[in-house]
Amino acid sequence: MKRALDDDNLREALRYSAAMLGELRTSLLTPQKYFELYMQAFDELRHLEACAAYFAEEHNKGRSYADLYELVQHAGNVLPRLYLLCTVGSCFIRAKEAHAKDILRDLVEMCKGVQHPTRGLFLRSYLCQVSRGLLPDTGSEYEGEGGRISDALEFLLLNFTEMNKLWVRMQHQGSPKDRERREKERQQLADLVGKNLTYMSQLEGLDVRLYQDVVQPRMMEQVVSCRDDIAQQYLMQCVIQGFPDECHLRTLPALLAALPELQAGVRVHLVLASLLDRLARYAATDASVVAALDSCDAFGQLLGAAGKVAAQHAEMAGGDVAAMFIALAQFAAAVYPGQLGLVDRVLVACHEALGERGGTADRTRAEKQLIALLALPLARPDAVAVLGLSAYPRVMALLAPTSRKEMAAKIVATLLEGDTEVGEPAQVEKLFDFIAPLIADIPGADAGQDEEDFEEEQGAVARLIHRLRSPLPGRHFAVLKAARARLGGGGARRLRFVLPPIAFQALGLVRQLAEGGAGRGPSSSAAAVEDGEDAPTAEAVLQFVHGVAVQLAEAGDKPEVALQLFLAGAQSASEVARLELIAYEFFEQAFLLYEEAIPDSAAERTALASIVGALQRCTVFPPEPRAALVHKATGYSAKLLRKPDQCRAVLACSRLFWQATPEPSPPQDVGGAAPQPPVRDGERVLVCLKRALKTAHAAQQQLAAALRGANTAPASLFVEILNHYLFYFDQGMPGITPSVLQNLLELVANEMATEPCQADAALVAFHANTLKHLAALKAKGGPRYDAIQL
Amino acid sequence: MVLVLCIGDIHIPQRATDLPAKFKALLVPGKIHHILCPGNLCTQEVFDYLKTVCGDLHVTRGDFDNAGSQYPEEKVLSLGGFKVGLCHGHQVVPWGDMDALGLLQRKLDVDILVTGHTHEFKASKLEDRFLINPGSATGAFGSMTKASWPSFVLMDMDAGKATVYVYELLNNDVKVEKIEFVKAPA
Repeated sequence: MKRALDDDNLREALRYSAAMLGELRTSLLTPQKYFELYMQAFDELRHLEACAAYFAEEHNKGRSYADLYELVQHAGNVLPRLYLLCTVGSCFIRAKEAHAKDILRDLVEMCKGVQHPTRGLFLRSYLCQVSRGLLPDTGSEYEGEGGRISDALEFLLLNFTEMNKLWVRMQHQGSPKDRERREKERQQLADLVGKNLTYMSQLEGLDVRLYQDVVQPRMMEQVVSCRDDIAQQYLMQCVIQGFPDECHLRTLPALLAALPELQAGVRVHLVLASLLDRLARYAATDASVVAALDSCDAFGQLLGAAGKVAAQHAEMAGGDVAAMFIALAQFAAAVYPGQLGLVDRVLVACHEALGERGGTADRTRAEKQLIALLALPLARPDAVAVLGLSAYPRVMALLAPTSRKEMAAKIVATLLEGDTEVGEPAQVEKLFDFIAPLIADIPGADAGQDEEDFEEEQGAVARLIHRLRSPLPGRHFAVLKAARARLGGGGARRLRFVLPPIAFQALGLVRQLAEGGAGRGPSSSAAAVEDGEDAPTAEAVLQFVHGVAVQLAEAGDKPEVALQLFLAGAQSASEVARLELIAYEFFEQAFLLYEEAIPDSAAERTALASIVGALQRCTVFPPEPRAALVHKATGYSAKLLRKPDQCRAVLACSRLFWQATPEPSPPQDVGGAAPQPPVRDGERVLVCLKRALKTAHAAQQQLAAALRGANTAPASLFVEILNHYLFYFDQGMPGITPSVLQNLLELVANEMATEPCQADAALVAFHANTLKHLAALKAKGGPRYDAIQL
Repeated sequence: MVLVLCIGDIHIPQRATDLPAKFKALLVPGKIHHILCPGNLCTQEVFDYLKTVCGDLHVTRGDFDNAGSQYPEEKVLSLGGFKVGLCHGHQVVPWGDMDALGLLQRKLDVDILVTGHTHEFKASKLEDRFLINPGSATGAFGSMTKASWPSFVLMDMDAGKATVYVYELLNNDVKVEKIEFVKAPA
């Protein structure tokens, strides 16, 4: 062919070209190989095209393009003929000897002569390629007599429609068993079809109006009517990515209307996601875009389209449905960052779409997507705002029990991360709706959960309770009551985690009320007015604490914790609110638990130490009730299992009769009883000390009887007792004279002289330290110590 | 030089949500040699957290520590030339009383006694010994104090000389104070 061209023999050149192009008639090649062949032919034709132009213009052989156009039609086979026709046709237009629109229409029509899918596709692709610069686009040199933009569009649209038909028809070539391979091949050819759309979008003359009136309807019509998964998937993406944002904005209803019409196999969520992505990026460029979006209720349309897609495609996987709503939620967050209401609408629609599906086949993927959707609003800086999403718990309820629980745990963790405080009772209620799977048993959620996981999870809920607070006492109390009402129903094994925080919050409130003048101060009354809720009395709050502690005690899971709550309540009632009767009631309950529920001797020791320690501090009780309480506590100390424990407990009890003088503090009007004077009852102290000595002796005899006289524990008790005597002597307690002390010193010295005691280094040190302490006391103690000899 | 962190009465989750973020930022792993916790860690999670700050962690049992936990009632250690005792203090009646704590100190024969329970930082000298209460690291509600704020103590001990740094969180500002204690010659 080239030689013929060099020889200026056009006729021969055309003949050779036709022969070469005849090779393209093969049906044996895969599209890949066919493409390679096509590219070779394409290069040759470029050459021919260049030469043809050269002939025509420079040498002027007397042949017009019209002749040439006729000439090439003599080629024997249709395929080479059409390739040549396209080649010459392009030269014809370039030479402006014919109107572009006429030639183009002619060519695009004539190409219908090839209906073999692969060959036809490549032929039309060639046509598209060669005519690219020759379209009568607005502003191009071929505009005017050569046609208008509408002709250019018409040409491309027609070519596109025909190509798409061929492309779709490709799937029917060959046997059904090669279907998978063929679909892969079709994917590879997608860009040939898409090129038409790309060229269209690049036309200068294409404005929004033309797009809306001509291009988009024709494209969508073809896309929808071809009823082919691959073509629809590809072309929708092409349309969305290829044309300007403004066009999409204007034609949104038509574009969205196509979505539910697409084939079941099309992954609509990806199409929708890319559209949303484009719109979101477009909206970010200019505020006016957002206004334009609003004016056509773009969000509502998008949401509606997603719902319609889900409704019309019952077979659509739950995961894909959820993915659509994720895209919508992301769009809402990007375009309308402050408007949580839109996210709520997404959730409502999602709930509707997925709720109908019930148990979806791809549970795990749908779960994952749903969790991702629910996690979106949590990523906001003000995570607490998520509580405003009314549909959130409903969507959560779609999850399987275990995932629902994980989601709830995630919400708790998110709220704990920030400095969020929840101060409205209604909001607290909502919060508990959100984390419902954590605060009560739900069937199926606890499978495979071990005790450690449970503790961790309940620990997080317990930590969250400290965030449920308001600076307004009335509201704070209401919040705590709401929390107790909900959490109190969570079953015995949860109570030991969630009730103590509520109780301690309430005790903090009691202190706040007492310091603010029992809610009568100006600040709290002002708050109450604004609040609409009166600040509670300290008494009411303490009653509440009492109720909480009783509930925990009745649950029976952790009696020692309940006992500590009663003691904390007692101290608060006594020392903060100064309410004698309530304080007494708290102690009684603590005693009841001590008697009935404490499980082992170690817990008993701790509990008794706590009781004695708490009671020792209390100053609200008049002598008689106090005596009753003290009597019980000392009684308990004698009933401990081991003698050394008994001895130490009774020593501690001695301090119940010897209270320190309180530090002078400004008198506080808390509306309760004034503190009683400190108890100083030397006689009763002495009774305790003597009983301690007796117990130590008894311990010694017990050991001797068991032939374990070498045990130094009783000796250690004697040294401890000596230390207590020293304390009371130094305090000037009347019952302890120097001679009593001297006797005890000697008794201890004799004990210490024994061999086992001398061998016990720790005991020797204790004794030595005690004597050193005595020396220090004596040094500054005055004449009372004169009679004491070391 | 030995750095010893005294931190206790954390009371998570019964009375507090978390340790203050500003404290967590201070407690970087790898700086501290020993941790003494007088008790009321309350959860394994807090124990695990302290373990990440320093592996050598000593805990005694508080009144709110799980009865099942294996923490001892009291503990004696030799650190940086001092004998240091550790005890929560709810067993010592009256609570927080210097004389009563002095007895325990003589019994344990320690130069420094670290206790908790009151939720109020206190460092005092008793005869020639030293008593430290690091307060509550979360500023947890306590029955014995009108108000409590988060605090902990860091001791820099070297050959019988201890520099005690008190970290307190007041109005979201960390305030540090320094107290010196020198061991009496034997």
